Amino acid sequence: MEQIQNIEGLQLTPDLFEPLSEAEKNSEFIAAAPRTYLSDAWHRFKENKLALCGLVFLLIMVVMAIVVPMLSPYSYEQMDYGAINLLPCTEHPMGTDKFGRDIFVRVMYGARISLLIGFSSAFICLVIGVVYGGFSGYIGGKVDMVLMRIVDILYAIPNLLIVILIMLVFGSNVGSIMIGICLTSWIGMARLVRAQVMSLKEQEFALAAYVLGASTPRILFKHLIINCMGSIIVNVTLLVPSAIFTEAFLSFVGIGISAPAASWGTLANEARTLIESSNPIQIIWPILAICLTMLSLNFIGDGVSDAFDPKKK
Amino acid sequence: MEQPILRVEGLKTHFPVGGGLFAKKQVVKAVNEVSFQVMQNETFGLVGESGCGKSTLGRTLVKIYEPTAGKIEFMGRDVGSLSGQELQEFRRNMQMIFQDPYASLNPRMTVGEIIREPMDIHNIGSPKEREEKVSSLLETVGLKPDHVRRYPHEFSGGQRQRISIARTLALDPKFIVCDEPISALDVSIQAQIINLLERIQQERGISYLFIAHDLGAVKHISQRIGAMYLGSLVEVGESSELYHRPLHPYTQALLSSIPIPDPERMRSRPGLQLDGDIPSPLDIPSGCPFRTRCPHATQRCAEEKPQLRQVGSSQVACHLYE
Ligand SMILES: Nc1ncnc2c1ncn2[C@@H]1O[C@H](COP(=O)(O)OP(=O)(O)OP(=O)(O)O)[C@@H](O)[C@H]1O
Ligand code: SF4
Ligand SMILES: [Mg+2]
Repeated sequence: MEQIQNIEGLQLTPDLFEPLSEAEKNSEFIAAAPRTYLSDAWHRFKENKLALCGLVFLLIMVVMAIVVPMLSPYSYEQMDYGAINLLPCTEHPMGTDKFGRDIFVRVMYGARISLLIGFSSAFICLVIGVVYGGFSGYIGGKVDMVLMRIVDILYAIPNLLIVILIMLVFGSNVGSIMIGICLTSWIGMARLVRAQVMSLKEQEFALAAYVLGASTPRILFKHLIINCMGSIIVNVTLLVPSAIFTEAFLSFVGIGISAPAASWGTLANEARTLIESSNPIQIIWPILAICLTMLSLNFIGDGVSDAFDPKKK
Repeated sequence: MEQPILRVEGLKTHFPVGGGLFAKKQVVKAVNEVSFQVMQNETFGLVGESGCGKSTLGRTLVKIYEPTAGKIEFMGRDVGSLSGQELQEFRRNMQMIFQDPYASLNPRMTVGEIIREPMDIHNIGSPKEREEKVSSLLETVGLKPDHVRRYPHEFSGGQRQRISIARTLALDPKFIVCDEPISALDVSIQAQIINLLERIQQERGISYLFIAHDLGAVKHISQRIGAMYLGSLVEVGESSELYHRPLHPYTQALLSSIPIPDPERMRSRPGLQLDGDIPSPLDIPSGCPFRTRCPHATQRCAEEKPQLRQVGSSQVACHLYE
C-alpha cells in the first residue's frame, strides 16, 4: 500500500536505469541443439536400465535365432537314435530329445517362429489398426458409427474360438496362426488411434492444414497420426508379447505349429511327456526361452511407455 | 478499396448438439444472420465478447464449417459451390491465422517443413525455389533463416505467431482471417505482431478480417469495425466513428470496458458497465438479442428483432435509432 502511494512522488532519473547486459540482449537466442521427438524418447529410454537389459537380451535372441540354426552341425529335424534324451553335454548344450534331436538348435529354431509371429502380427495389427482407427476418427459421423459397431461385433466373438476355427480351416501353420491372432488384436490399436485422432483433429494445427488445402491422407498421417506415435509405439510393445504368448499357448495345447517344426510351445508340449524319463529337464529350455523373452519384452514396454510419457519431460 | 473482395449475406452457422437417447436435440446458433462486406486491401475488425460466434464466423468463411444458410461471395464467386480445382484456388487466396500460437503449429514438424508445406500441397515452384521462399518468408516475418531446422516448442508465443504468419504468406493469399492472433500474447509483443501484419498488408495488398474480443486491440489496425453479439452484428462503422461515438448500447458497453489512462475522461465517457452473463447461444432471447442486458430495453425490443440500418455513417441494429 505504502509503495503505491509513493508513486506520485517518484522521480525517474536516468541513473535509475542500466543498459541490458549482452547476455540478456540475446535472450531470444535458442541455445539447446534441436532434438527430435524420437531421439528425445530414446534418450529417456536409455536411462531405464531394466528396459535396456531387455532390449539387449532381445537383440541377442534375434541374432542367435538367425545364426545358430545356420551354423550348427545339427538341423532341427535331424534324428539320431544313438543319442536319445541326453542331458546337457559339450556336444549338445541343452541335451537331446526323445528322437535324439539337438534341443539347443530346436529352441533357437523355435525362437525364429515365435519372434516372427510376434513381430509380424504386431506389424500387421499396427497397419490395420492405425489406418482403420485413423479414418474412422477423422471422418467421424455415420461412417465412424458403422466402423465402430463392426469392431464391437468382432470384439464380442471369443478370440480363441476364432483362432481355433481358422486353424481348422487353413491348417496348422504359421500363416493361419498369424491370421487368427491378427483378426482381433488390431481392435485395441484401432480404438486407441481413433480416440486420439478425434481429439487431435480439432486442434488448430490440423485445422490450419485443412485450410491450407491438405488432402485427408496428408492431414491424417502427417499431422494427426504422427502426434499419437507415442501411444502407438507403446501399444505395439504390448502386442508383440501377447502374440508370442498366444502362439505358444496354442502350440502347447496341440493346435498350433506341429512337429517336426518346432515353436517354443510345441517343444514344451513334446517335453511334457518326458518329465519322468532320463532327461526330465527338457521342458525347462523352451519355458525359459518364453519367460525370458516375455520378461524382456515387458521391460521394454515399460521403458517405452515411460520414454513417451510427456509428463516426464 | 472500392471493390468488395468478400461479401457475406444472411450467413447462419448452427451446430446441432446433444440429442442422445434422453436429451432433446438442441441447436447452437453460433452465427445467426450476419451480413457485411470487406473491401480490397481493407482491414475489417470484428469484436465481441467470448462465445459470441467470432471464431465460428471466421471458420465458416474459410470453409472449415459449412454454413447453415446464407451466401459468401469471395472475389466475385459464390464460395458455397466450389469444388476440386476451384476449391484449391480458393484456399490459396483465403487463409487463416489462429488464436493459439501453441496449438496452431504441428509439434512434430520443423519450422522449415511447416512453412514449406503449403507450397508442397499446392505444388508451387521447384524444391529449390521452395527452400528459398521459406528463407525469405522467415526474414519477412522477422525470424532468422537458420531457424528452419528448429521445432515449434523452441520458440516463444510471439515467434510462433510469426511462423504462422509466414506459413499463410507462403501461398500469397489475398485475404487472411486473423482469429485473435494477438490475444494469447504479451502486451509488449502484441504491438509487434500488429505492426508486422500492417506492414505485410501494405507490401502485398492483403485484406484482413481481424477478430478480437476488445475494441482497443482492433481500433488501430482496422478501417471499419463490426461489433458482434450472440451471433448477430449489432453495429458496423468506421473505426474512429465506432470508437468515439458508439451508437449501440452493446458497443458503448464494450468501449467502457477499455481502461483509459485518464480518470477524468474515464468517468465522463458515455456507456455502461456490462453486467449479467451473456445468455446461452442455445437459447437466444426473442427480439433483440441484447435486451436481457440492455438498460434501454422496451416492450418492442422483446417482440421485434432490430435490423441493421444506416444511422449517420454507421449501421446499427437497435430500436432506439428509428
Ligand atoms: N463445433 C462446435 N459444435 C458445437 N458448438 C460450437 C462449436 N464451435 C463453437 N460452438 C459454440 O458456438 C458458440 C460460439 O463460439 P465461438 O468459438 O465462435 O466464439 P468466439 O466468439 O470465437 O469466442 P472466443 O472469444 O472465446 O474465441 C459458443 O457457444 C460455442 O460453444
Ligand atoms: S433494440 Fe432494444 S434491447 Fe436491443 S439494444 Fe436497442 S434498446 Fe437495447
Ligand atoms: Mg474464438
